[in-house]
Amino acid sequence: MFDKGKINYWHLLLILVVLIAILPILFMVSNSFKTLRDSYNTMLSLIPLRPTLNNYLMLNRQVNLLTLTWNTFLMAAIVTIGKLLTGLLTAYAFRSYRFKGKMFVYLIFVSTIFVPFTIIMIPNYLVIAKLNLLNNVLGVALPQLCDATGIMIFLKTMEKIPNTLIDAAKVDNIPNRKIFFNIVIPILKPSIVSVGAIFFINSWNEYVWPTLILKDKASFTLPLALQNYISSEGGTNFPLAMALSTIMVILPLIIYLIFQKYILNSISTSGLK
Amino acid sequence: MHNKNKRILPFLYLLPTAILLLVFMIIPIIYTFYLSFFDWNLIAPTKEFVGFKNYIDVFIDPINQKVILNTIIYIVFLIILNFLIPYFISLIVKFFINKMQKTYKILFFIPSLFSLVVGAMIFTWMLNPVSGPIAFILKNIGISMPNWSNSGILAITVICFITNWKVFGYNFILLLTGLGSIPQNIIDAAKIDRIPKWRLIFNVVLPMNRGISVYVLILTIVQGLQYVFTPINVITTGGPYYGSSNMIYQTYLNAFVLYKTGTSSALAIVTFIIFLILLFIEIRFVEGRSDKYV
Amino acid sequence: MKSSKIKKIFLILGILSLAVVFTGCGKKTSASSVKHITYWHVNAQTQGGATVDELVKKFNSTHKNIKVTAKYNPDMYKGLMQNLQSAQASGKVPDVVQVGWAYDNYFASNFKYLTPTDAAKNFDGNSKFIDSSFTKKTLSFAKDSNGKLVGLPYSLSTPVLFINKDILNKYGVQENSLTTWEGVKEASKRIYDQSGKYGLYIQEPGDTWAQQAIMLSNGAKIQKNGKADFASSNGVNAYKYYQEMVSEKLALHTPWAQGIDSFVKGDVAMAFTTIAQASHIKESASFNAAAIVAPHFKEYKTVVPVGGSMLAITAQDSEQQKAAWKFEKWMYSAESAVTWSKGTGYLPATQAALKSNDFKDYTNANPMLKPAVKTLDNAVPWTSFPKKGLQAEQTMIDARDKILSGSDISSTLKAAQDKINAQQE
Repeated sequence: MFDKGKINYWHLLLILVVLIAILPILFMVSNSFKTLRDSYNTMLSLIPLRPTLNNYLMLNRQVNLLTLTWNTFLMAAIVTIGKLLTGLLTAYAFRSYRFKGKMFVYLIFVSTIFVPFTIIMIPNYLVIAKLNLLNNVLGVALPQLCDATGIMIFLKTMEKIPNTLIDAAKVDNIPNRKIFFNIVIPILKPSIVSVGAIFFINSWNEYVWPTLILKDKASFTLPLALQNYISSEGGTNFPLAMALSTIMVILPLIIYLIFQKYILNSISTSGLK
Repeated sequence: MHNKNKRILPFLYLLPTAILLLVFMIIPIIYTFYLSFFDWNLIAPTKEFVGFKNYIDVFIDPINQKVILNTIIYIVFLIILNFLIPYFISLIVKFFINKMQKTYKILFFIPSLFSLVVGAMIFTWMLNPVSGPIAFILKNIGISMPNWSNSGILAITVICFITNWKVFGYNFILLLTGLGSIPQNIIDAAKIDRIPKWRLIFNVVLPMNRGISVYVLILTIVQGLQYVFTPINVITTGGPYYGSSNMIYQTYLNAFVLYKTGTSSALAIVTFIIFLILLFIEIRFVEGRSDKYV
Repeated sequence: MKSSKIKKIFLILGILSLAVVFTGCGKKTSASSVKHITYWHVNAQTQGGATVDELVKKFNSTHKNIKVTAKYNPDMYKGLMQNLQSAQASGKVPDVVQVGWAYDNYFASNFKYLTPTDAAKNFDGNSKFIDSSFTKKTLSFAKDSNGKLVGLPYSLSTPVLFINKDILNKYGVQENSLTTWEGVKEASKRIYDQSGKYGLYIQEPGDTWAQQAIMLSNGAKIQKNGKADFASSNGVNAYKYYQEMVSEKLALHTPWAQGIDSFVKGDVAMAFTTIAQASHIKESASFNAAAIVAPHFKEYKTVVPVGGSMLAITAQDSEQQKAAWKFEKWMYSAESAVTWSKGTGYLPATQAALKSNDFKDYTNANPMLKPAVKTLDNAVPWTSFPKKGLQAEQTMIDARDKILSGSDISSTLKAAQDKINAQQE
């Protein structure tokens, strides 16, 4: 923008930041193709000396990757859909209606962002158990739905929809349902996509609630299965754990690559200003 | 008919969220508050009422005092690593380079796709002070790596760094977007007036970007303190001698390792109050329109 | 037009989520004469988890009217206890659980269980199975502070000293000099002076098992008549040895996983840790690794707290208990016990299994196990304080961490001892 024609040394700093971000990932992938011995002996080489698929094959024998992935997907999908629906509905109510106590309700909703999970951990466990939802995908999804991030972002985006547009629709006696679906949703599409993607990725990686709610191997999600390989008593099998970590990141990576433009440009431009 | 609809509809829209929040958040908070006045171990049939003893313990017990102090250290480190550095980098990307901006954005964000459990595992392996790749390289140039897991402050640094790896890209993009929303004509005007770039940033850009930066700052603290839970749990379990524990981890330790639900609940309530103070700041600076919904 | 597409997507998403809700709730329990029992264990995949599944599968295929479901609990015995606690709070308890020795009293005083003595009386009519399977000493590991048998010993482990023979040979350390801790220190010094490598790593997990072994092997007592008694001069001296090793950089002080990694990598010459690590070390080390009996201090004998676990019956209904007992007995058969031992790296607890040819062949193929079997003769029950046992263990961990970061030993141990004893009142 300013310096033209000069060599820009700032790039060196930025490339260093890129290295810090990416190098651990390269180590992860490379270790997943190493034998246990080589992971100790050829630590520094990013390209495995004797590349092997053994870790993946062993993983496939030891855990049911398909079930694990499906469990994780289902949980993340329910959380994402749930959070999008409740977020959109709530934001729309705040945007287009006046009612008593609006400010109060809004504050309560927003303040949930500031509730540490530790404060609701014990009671929520008991509630989920009472609802008979332990080891159930719903049991692990429900507490994750309490998050006002979506409400905040959608509300901020909706505020940019000109009042005249909605007022005009109201004057024309177009039902609210139609205003919501035909006017508001299409305008919000970019932020719905990007917020949805972020929700999905975060829930996919969620650790705390699955640890508390899912005790049955059959209901485990991928991050929980990783615990299998960091048990210190039997020794950590690092290459195997890295193989599972690599598998775990595939779907988030695909989602990111597909929606990258939305995520990087619109989550923030539309949502937070 | 329309009128009646109008009155009920907003509540219908709010209902799903309200039920969820009531059942999984508000009632649990009240219950935790209730538990903080009792001595209980999660399974005993009776709870013993102890008044404010648990709260007094939170502030008098030397371990808890240490943990509170650590929490402050965590906050300082998180602000530096997860807020100031991303902010600095976003300023550079916005104002000091004119190529590759998009590439950097794409690459910086990639670690956000990873689970913190994975991050914790990779970094403990990479940073093993005796046998890790980094220690190996340092040894070859004649530097011995400090055994960070034995020092509370170094362990906190490493743990914060791991969360930094994960959230850096996200915070960077939020801040960069904030910068992007500053009207170009203001910047162009400054350029014409030949105002030095750093002065422009300090006098114009930073004040204009205040809303989003306070939002990211507070998110950094509130989410950061919860994010560090996973690496603490995986790497140090709070050690050495509570040197890397914070209030969130201590709450978990009391609840699910020592089964002192009373102490745990009291700690949780105190943490919540601190967070609420932050929330108040957030509303003052970010929402900045408290009159809007009255 | 565009918006109708989005509307459709919403509709589909809504239906999908509804479908999920219904399938989630619609899980039915099949009502038939088959008894379903749940078995909670702690064996991660790196630690014989697959063997447990295999055994359970085999049991299920040979017992048509009992169906066992094995459930893995992360984070070892501590994790299992936490889950059991949560399960009790929710009202749904498993039928058979694997309990670590350190949780013996805690388990006995907080959970409802059926003692093996009663199970044998109710379902076998005699106690032949218990008497013939275990030695008196082994059974004593599974008794609570009132002398009541809580469960049946299932797995045993002892700490051993793993050695990197390549390093020892290179720096001229004789293996037979490592029978005493003094000898270990001398060897460490020699290695450190010549190579800068650490001599020793002593495991530092979320318990003080290994540290107790060092104290016991210096003639100290961990408890006496239900009271903590480790702050004696023998206990203090044992910790003094440990603290000096660390401060002189002869011993590495780091969390468990990292310490073992450093040993396997060849940066530490000796590792004092559980025999359960044997197969991991064997598989990952590229040097000549071996194990020797846990060292002792001069003038004292090797004494180690036994590690491992017992199986306890938490089933409440008599029919369930009967099925659980049947499953337990099957798991204790020499064949199953040795299979389990091979998969997990622990030692079997029954006499029949320990003496079986199958197990002998196994130790011949894996000589690292031999010192561990030998050490069993010097094993004592793992200290489990009658009251607030979890908090007592945490107090001992805290004392260890404080001492290793340089605190005064005798005052730290004394304070820890007083704290534990105050809770025993």
